[in-house]
Amino acid sequence: MIFASKAFFIFLPVVLVLYHLPRARGRKYGVMLAASWLFYAWLSPQYLWVIVLCTVIDYLAALKIEGAETDRARKWWLGVSVAANLGLLFAFKYTTFVYDNAVSLAQFCGTPVRDRTWDILLPLGISFHTFQGISYTADVYRRQIKAVRSFLDYAMFVAFFPQLAAGPIVRAAEFLPQMVTPPSVSARQVADGLHFFVLGLFKKLFLADQLDQLFVAPVFADPAAFDPAARRWACVAWAAQIYCDFSGYSDMAVGCAKWFGFELPRNFNFPYLATSITDFWRRWHLSLSTWLRDYLYFPLGGSRGSAPRTYFNLTVVFVMCGLWHGATWAWLVYGLYNGLLMSLHRAWDRSLAGVRWADRVRSTVAWKLAAWAGTSFAIVAGLILIRIPSWTAGGVMFESLLGLDLMGGWSAAIPVWVPALLAVVAAGHLFSGLRNRVCGLLELPSPVRAAVYVGAIGLLVTLGPGVGKTFIYLAF
Amino acid sequence: MKPTETTPSTPLPPETQPRQLPADGPTVARVTVVTALGPVEPTAKVLRRTWTFVSRNRTIVLFALMLLGTDRVIGRFAAVWDRHSPDDYAARVKGCAREQRDLVFIGGSPVAEGINPDRVAGVAWAGKPLASAYAMGLSGGTTSDFYHAVLRGCPTPPRVLVYGITASDLNDSRHEPHGPYSLMTTGDVGRWVRLRPDSAEWVVRHFAQARLGRASDLYRYRHGIRMWAATEADRQLPGSCPEAVGEADELRERADALRTGNGYAPARGYSVGRYDAVKAAGLRPKEFPYLRKYRTGSHLKYLHELAIWCGVRGVDLVLVDMPVTADLEAMYPAEFAEYRARLAEVEQGAGLRVIRASRAAVGLTDTHFADLIHMNREGAKVFSGWVRSELGRCGQ
Repeated sequence: MIFASKAFFIFLPVVLVLYHLPRARGRKYGVMLAASWLFYAWLSPQYLWVIVLCTVIDYLAALKIEGAETDRARKWWLGVSVAANLGLLFAFKYTTFVYDNAVSLAQFCGTPVRDRTWDILLPLGISFHTFQGISYTADVYRRQIKAVRSFLDYAMFVAFFPQLAAGPIVRAAEFLPQMVTPPSVSARQVADGLHFFVLGLFKKLFLADQLDQLFVAPVFADPAAFDPAARRWACVAWAAQIYCDFSGYSDMAVGCAKWFGFELPRNFNFPYLATSITDFWRRWHLSLSTWLRDYLYFPLGGSRGSAPRTYFNLTVVFVMCGLWHGATWAWLVYGLYNGLLMSLHRAWDRSLAGVRWADRVRSTVAWKLAAWAGTSFAIVAGLILIRIPSWTAGGVMFESLLGLDLMGGWSAAIPVWVPALLAVVAAGHLFSGLRNRVCGLLELPSPVRAAVYVGAIGLLVTLGPGVGKTFIYLAF
Repeated sequence: MKPTETTPSTPLPPETQPRQLPADGPTVARVTVVTALGPVEPTAKVLRRTWTFVSRNRTIVLFALMLLGTDRVIGRFAAVWDRHSPDDYAARVKGCAREQRDLVFIGGSPVAEGINPDRVAGVAWAGKPLASAYAMGLSGGTTSDFYHAVLRGCPTPPRVLVYGITASDLNDSRHEPHGPYSLMTTGDVGRWVRLRPDSAEWVVRHFAQARLGRASDLYRYRHGIRMWAATEADRQLPGSCPEAVGEADELRERADALRTGNGYAPARGYSVGRYDAVKAAGLRPKEFPYLRKYRTGSHLKYLHELAIWCGVRGVDLVLVDMPVTADLEAMYPAEFAEYRARLAEVEQGAGLRVIRASRAAVGLTDTHFADLIHMNREGAKVFSGWVRSELGRCGQ
């Protein structure tokens, strides 16, 4: 099941009622677990075993780690958990990629091998719940948290449906303490839940889907059919679309969770206000960035070794980050691109740190604006990689973004709604992000807030597309 | 024996300690004011609790109230939204019911596109002219839908009811939700469940969905609001949303035609389209989805119901086997054979009058069609003339 579908709008109120009716902790969590597994199995019931298996393995592994007397045994059980999660992830997500490349290689070497005629359907949210399972057993291994005794509690933590399909990747240390007693829902949580849910729906259906339908999809499908100005607009619109799509889902997850009394971590912090690539990754998909930092970058050695070793670690982390998003060469290149940018930025930053004149220049508004512009350009350029239908089409888009075809024209017939929708995204960033607020709307008086939500729903119902498309991040 | 003395430092057992009153006087735990009308405390308590709840949840409460208010306001302007995106079935039925008709045509999109009632009106039937005529052509409809359209659209029975029938009307694999949405009442659903148990779940589900969808005017008129917004946006910023404005213009034109006309409101594309040109361009369709998985029997029950309705009210029912392109018949020979066999059964069994409008008899070629099944304006002109002459012959 996906958010923004008719089925979900029946499912959600039913689950809310069933969850809040019983007072006993076990019954509440039983309802939630059943609902979450139903949510998971809605589209592909044949894959329910995947999440159940992961849950059982991680639950047992954590207990074994905690109960083990030797370090060797603890390590062994951690290995079992990591191997099981990554094994399933690899089997479902990367088998086709590896197979296709092996076939290409074989054909290149002259060995006749037939192309693949089969495909593997990806289980819902596998990239998210496997990472959640790994972080749990790793935290138990590091003695940062205690293993959960109740299978029901652990299963609910993994399957909690608001964040099951597309994150945020919730850490056990953040979520399990909230489960000790069933959280009661405060009036503020109900109102804030409405805020995040409506905001998320608006971002997804009104902004992301409209941008895609109106402009991004046709331009990226055949860039040569559009003039350079249209292609430049399409690059920017695509950046706005992917942000609204993914942060829209995260917002809906946060809002939903609040209605059940739970708090989920914030996943986005106005990423397009970033003034460096490092800053960007501290604002974009925070739960993934911090996961990769804690469970991959630090174990690799982080920045404790030599500078080249640190750059190597950064590059590895970002290549993995790219591959986590999708098993394609485009995603791999996207990861590599970001890893290189991160390394370059780190080298630049280190070389100027402590230099008095450089610090003075870097603290000026002009420099910050230039840094913002440069970073935004680099981000948009990177995002092109993951949308292009072919490398040739990508070349055409890059050429336009770089302005190499400036003479080709500036006066494309852009649908007037494209700049308008982009202005809404920009306004959101400026209204809240510049003031360092979670969302500026939350601070407005209740009547204004209520009017904004009604307006957003009105726009969604009347101007949004009839049926929501699948969230981009559900494919990851 | 000396009585035991208690020193001030020795605490008394709790039950013997004097009750300490607060410094600012006694606390009143409960006061019930009884008046001639009875105790008032519960009302005050309820009010206080309600107020506490409302003030605590003011954002949600205001949101709910504003949403309801917006919905009411939108409902007030229903006519505006309807004009920008009419409910085709409801508009046609309403148009037909507006006045008494001597002649009513019913059927699917072939009737909507192919019969111009003005060209048929005036024909003599049983010695008297059929003065007013209306075409209730419901695009995408089935025989079951047409029966319900007659129930709603003909409060005063016409003298003659002409059903322009075609093979796809009787295909039981087709379930079209517009009928349950726009034409049926709860009683009709109950009757459908009894008459056609094979699709009972489907009709109940769609009827319930339709009723639920009408609970909110914002949802119900969403497309009309969208079309209105496109029109207004185009007025302010010309060329801002050309596709939506094109759609809005056509819908408004159709709404006006349906509101005031005789039911003949051909779609722009069909009106001027030419099937021979489509074929010449190499765009011949490979499939006609309405005849997919063809089976008959269930919809047919409503044809019998229609015959009974006409019989009881003294309405002459005439079936016209609508002409289609040769290509469509060639693509689905078995389906058309089954359909025509059913039609023959009805003709013989129920004694219904059937006019077979073959292409040769009418004089239709591919130039008179817009696609596989719909006639264009020229085709409608030719066909309506032919129907007039046939009705004149039958009416003698």
